[in-house]
Amino acid sequence: MKRSIAMILAALLSSAMYAESITVAAAISLKDALTRASAQYKTETGESVELNWGSSGQLANQILNGAPVDLFISAAEKQIKDLSKAGILVETTRSIVATNSLVLIVPSESKASPDSVKALADGRVTRIAIGEPESVPAGRYAEQAFDHAGIADAVRDKLILGTNVRQVLDYVERGEVSAGLVYATDAKSAGDKVRVTCTVDAGVHEAIVYPAVVVKTSAKQEAAARFLKYLLSKKGQACLREFGFAPPPEPTTKAIK
Amino acid sequence: MNSGLWLTLWLSLRISVSATLLALVVALPLAYINARSRYWGKSLLEGLIIVPMVLPPTVVGYLIIASLGVKGWLGQYLHQWFSYSILFRIEGAILAAAIVAMPLLYLPTRAAFAAIERDMEDVARVMGANRFQLFWHVSLPMATRGLLSGVMLAFARALGEFGATVMVFGIRMNQTTLPVSIYLDYEQGEMQKALAAVSLLCFVSLAITLLYNRSALSRQG
Repeated sequence: MKRSIAMILAALLSSAMYAESITVAAAISLKDALTRASAQYKTETGESVELNWGSSGQLANQILNGAPVDLFISAAEKQIKDLSKAGILVETTRSIVATNSLVLIVPSESKASPDSVKALADGRVTRIAIGEPESVPAGRYAEQAFDHAGIADAVRDKLILGTNVRQVLDYVERGEVSAGLVYATDAKSAGDKVRVTCTVDAGVHEAIVYPAVVVKTSAKQEAAARFLKYLLSKKGQACLREFGFAPPPEPTTKAIK
Repeated sequence: MNSGLWLTLWLSLRISVSATLLALVVALPLAYINARSRYWGKSLLEGLIIVPMVLPPTVVGYLIIASLGVKGWLGQYLHQWFSYSILFRIEGAILAAAIVAMPLLYLPTRAAFAAIERDMEDVARVMGANRFQLFWHVSLPMATRGLLSGVMLAFARALGEFGATVMVFGIRMNQTTLPVSIYLDYEQGEMQKALAAVSLLCFVSLAITLLYNRSALSRQG
């Protein structure tokens, strides 16, 4: 009896431990592109990658609290800096894998269509979905755009905060909000369910970059670095581009300071 | 305590008190009727009232959105005719908390009604009490204790509701409930900031549990 209980317990607990794959925690805006890239990677190299989604803030926080992550891909520098301060990153591996832009979207059947950030202050726009600014980079960029347009106070009470950027997209898709701010790649993935009314000027918010870095506590640092290298390679970049991501601003192999 | 916490507490109280009242209005007559009579479909109705107790709150949230959201089977008409959607509104949070809290109010209340000795009610009836008088002056006072424990438990449950609330009410700027604010603080990596809300909820829940236990024990003794 005791033995069978022990065996059941072992079976329940073991699957996670025996998996040979690396665990990648990635900003959820990368979902479609990375899913494809990791599948390609598996066919080409035989190495499997387990993907974990969330907002960059959620993921950074999980890593800080000891989540067994090998590679972290954030949608902003802020989260990487926070982890860097805690000294748990392999700094030499830090590199930007892609860039993106912020767009204003409305439900496709929506009649009103605010065609600039400033127009969101209009009374006809009743609810605006953005990412929760502290943990969702897209929300932080949106707040910066509001500040720049001088409408931060005017829109405050209209804001619905998504816990990641895909939730913001979903609110707009379902028509539960009048408008939302998401990445161009998210809007693209939604097809004709949402309409892009304008691209936010890149000068009014921090640069939207996706930094990736190997986590120091990982036991599979080399395997993690191999996958990162693949993402920076021609094949990896082609895959990201297919989903609307723009290439990194500088030579991709160079680690950023 | 900072002003943010007071606002959070105030919103939480508004939602949980309203939800408890809503649950009370629905559950009290049902508990009374179901403790007294048998009718076709009774078990199904009782099952529906009680099932949120074991159902994940996310399922409750899903069902509310699937019925009353802009694209919901009922919500699409509300949206078309009145431009109304339950999402992100306080009514949504109240409805979610009420559904989740109702079983805790319903069960002890029904048990209290069922435990009343029928003789007492028969005496009142013989003395000429009509149905409402019978309920108001005899049955209800005798079931007060069970009803009160139910109300306390339901209130505690409503105050702590997270899963359905976060789906239906969402996270609005400067408008979060206590449990949602704890989740947000954690997500932002600010465990310290959540401490006040965590302590408050622990304290209130413990106090209510102790009160409930005491009334349950004294009823036995």
